Amino acid sequence: MSGASQHLLSVLARLGRPELSLRRQLLLWLLLPQLVLWIAGGIATYQLAAGYANRAIDASLSQASRTLARQVKPMGDGLLIDFPRAAQDVLEADPKDRLLYTVSTPPGQFILGNKRLPAPPVMAAPRLNDPYFYDGELAPLPDMDANVDSARHQPLRLRVAALYLAYGERGSAQQTMLVQVARSSANREELARSIAVDTLLPLSALMLLMTMIVWAGIRAGLAPLERLRREVEARAPDDLTPLQLETAPLELRSLALALNQLLASVQHSVVTQRRFISDAAHQLRTPLAGLKSQTELALQAAPDAEQRTRLNLVQQSAARSAHLVNQLLTLARAEPESALAQERRPLELRGFVRELTAELVPRALRAGIDLGVDGAEDDSAPILVQANALLLREALCNLIDNALHYAGRGAEVTLRVGMAGEQACVDVEDNGPGIAEADRERVFERFVRATDQGNGCGLGLPIVKEIIERHQGNVSLLTLHPRGLGVRLRLPLLRRRL
Amino acid sequence: MHLLLAEDDSILADALSAQLRGAGFTVDHAPNGPVAEYLLLKQPFDLAILDLGLPMMDGLTVLRHVRAVRPHVPVVVLTALDDLESRVAGLNAGADDYITKPFDFPELEARIRALLRRANPGSAPADLGFGALSFDRDARRARVGGEVIDLSPREWTLLELLLLCRDKVVTKDQIVQTWAGDGGELGVGNATEVYIHRLRRKLEGSGVAIRTVRGLGYLLEAEAGKAEAR
Repeated sequence: MSGASQHLLSVLARLGRPELSLRRQLLLWLLLPQLVLWIAGGIATYQLAAGYANRAIDASLSQASRTLARQVKPMGDGLLIDFPRAAQDVLEADPKDRLLYTVSTPPGQFILGNKRLPAPPVMAAPRLNDPYFYDGELAPLPDMDANVDSARHQPLRLRVAALYLAYGERGSAQQTMLVQVARSSANREELARSIAVDTLLPLSALMLLMTMIVWAGIRAGLAPLERLRREVEARAPDDLTPLQLETAPLELRSLALALNQLLASVQHSVVTQRRFISDAAHQLRTPLAGLKSQTELALQAAPDAEQRTRLNLVQQSAARSAHLVNQLLTLARAEPESALAQERRPLELRGFVRELTAELVPRALRAGIDLGVDGAEDDSAPILVQANALLLREALCNLIDNALHYAGRGAEVTLRVGMAGEQACVDVEDNGPGIAEADRERVFERFVRATDQGNGCGLGLPIVKEIIERHQGNVSLLTLHPRGLGVRLRLPLLRRRL
Repeated sequence: MHLLLAEDDSILADALSAQLRGAGFTVDHAPNGPVAEYLLLKQPFDLAILDLGLPMMDGLTVLRHVRAVRPHVPVVVLTALDDLESRVAGLNAGADDYITKPFDFPELEARIRALLRRANPGSAPADLGFGALSFDRDARRARVGGEVIDLSPREWTLLELLLLCRDKVVTKDQIVQTWAGDGGELGVGNATEVYIHRLRRKLEGSGVAIRTVRGLGYLLEAEAGKAEAR
């Protein structure tokens, strides 16, 4: 009956599992590119900042190299360097950011400054008056104390400006002089880093903010899906009414529409199937009536005892089939699709139970059973429930019939109407053999019989359960001492309108 | 008594005709709707048993056509359908009673006799008694084994009610209301038990017993039949 809707539920439940989470996919698709872009942006910013820093440093180095070059004056064949103390101080002003310099006349005739500065790339005809810039490393001093900070031993990375100048007389005597000024590139890197950090910090904050906004957006966007899922999950397996469409967004509406179509077709097949059961049961009634009547006639006319015994068995069998058909029809009537099952009216339970029991007393007396109602006849407050009288009647008739069948001759069957908390309850008790503990769960299943006694068909308690649950109530079995069986029906009380 | 049985299932019709004849009725059989209509319009039957699922013309249509001409002939509808809608439709079309298949023949017979009694009033027995009890309503006299027993008006009313509802439960409410209807005052309270007790004493030896049904009321039955299944 509910196979298709069960399948539907499992499909929808799988949608909620993490590996297929829409939210996860959306987040991944929105945030992963963002992260990649963020990293790329960081690298680009750093490169750009480093470029600008280089340019600034190169400009200052270029200026320093020219200033230094101006102090070098040709003196006959050699060079005179007028390098006053004050100028040296200016060059070496910042102890952290030392300016290193060398003046040399190639090939390698060192004149002044730090000899360890890296040499410029070798060139056949170096350009004059326009400095070259390159990166290099200052080798550590070999005779440095061993106990000095090991960082000192690290080669110092430098940015070097190399300026070639010509000196001497124009013509053959002209020579080339090399002025190199270098500066630690640590400063430059630090500058680039701080520029990058300064730009990336707000960028990161922006990204975090974006993530939160996207997260909230996804949540809000997926909320209708979540609602739909919860609505489907909360459904009883036999609830095949269409889903609400009004509040669903466009994309979900098509899904909900498809679900509704599925629900409708399941509903249709369920109804068809039930109608078939009902029609089949109706069709069986006429031949059964014929069988029953013919057997009764034959029984009257049968000459010998053997034949009568056999015919009696045929009649019992016919009666049993008739009972089964009637029970099937009752069950079909209790199904939610039945128009009869929809109809509810306020009903006073005490009077209803008393009337019904009174009606069944003659049958009980024929079965040798003392059937009665517990409690005073007139002094109790009325108990109102909202119920379908015909169905409730079938439920109680089935319970009393069961008791009459299985409690055994001489037993007592007692009905009791009362309140159990906020619910009305009807107990049907007998002092018969009861039901074995092992069978208690199963007796509510269709076609399960706890005993081979009697002519039952295993539909009595399932019918009771179906009908009572249709009334938002429940059925439970009570164990009685010293022996016997009690069945308790609980029904919600009728809420009076304010 | 002349009955028409309109039923298309020949096996059921055959058995039912035999059973009805065995019960002392004269029975004509109609296997389909038009025949049933023709016979009912042509002959004055005392009662008709009509299956709703008749071929060619369904029972409800037959019933409507017949009712237009013969409004008083009692009709028992016999059908395999017992849902509320068919029941209401059947009774609206003018059926007097409604029995679903499969049925117990004694019940069908009882209902036929009840309808016939209603159609021909005055046939109810004046003596409601049985066993050694005679209860003559016309003469307003009750006897046990030929001897007149002395009953007060309330006791009379109570016994009459119990006899009319023989083998059925009579509630205290019903008893009190019957007394009130007879001009007695309401609010007699526990008096019912007292009267039942007195009646039981007076009915001793009559073969008629009044049983107390727990929480419900009383039931009058034949004493000997108490333990035996009937």
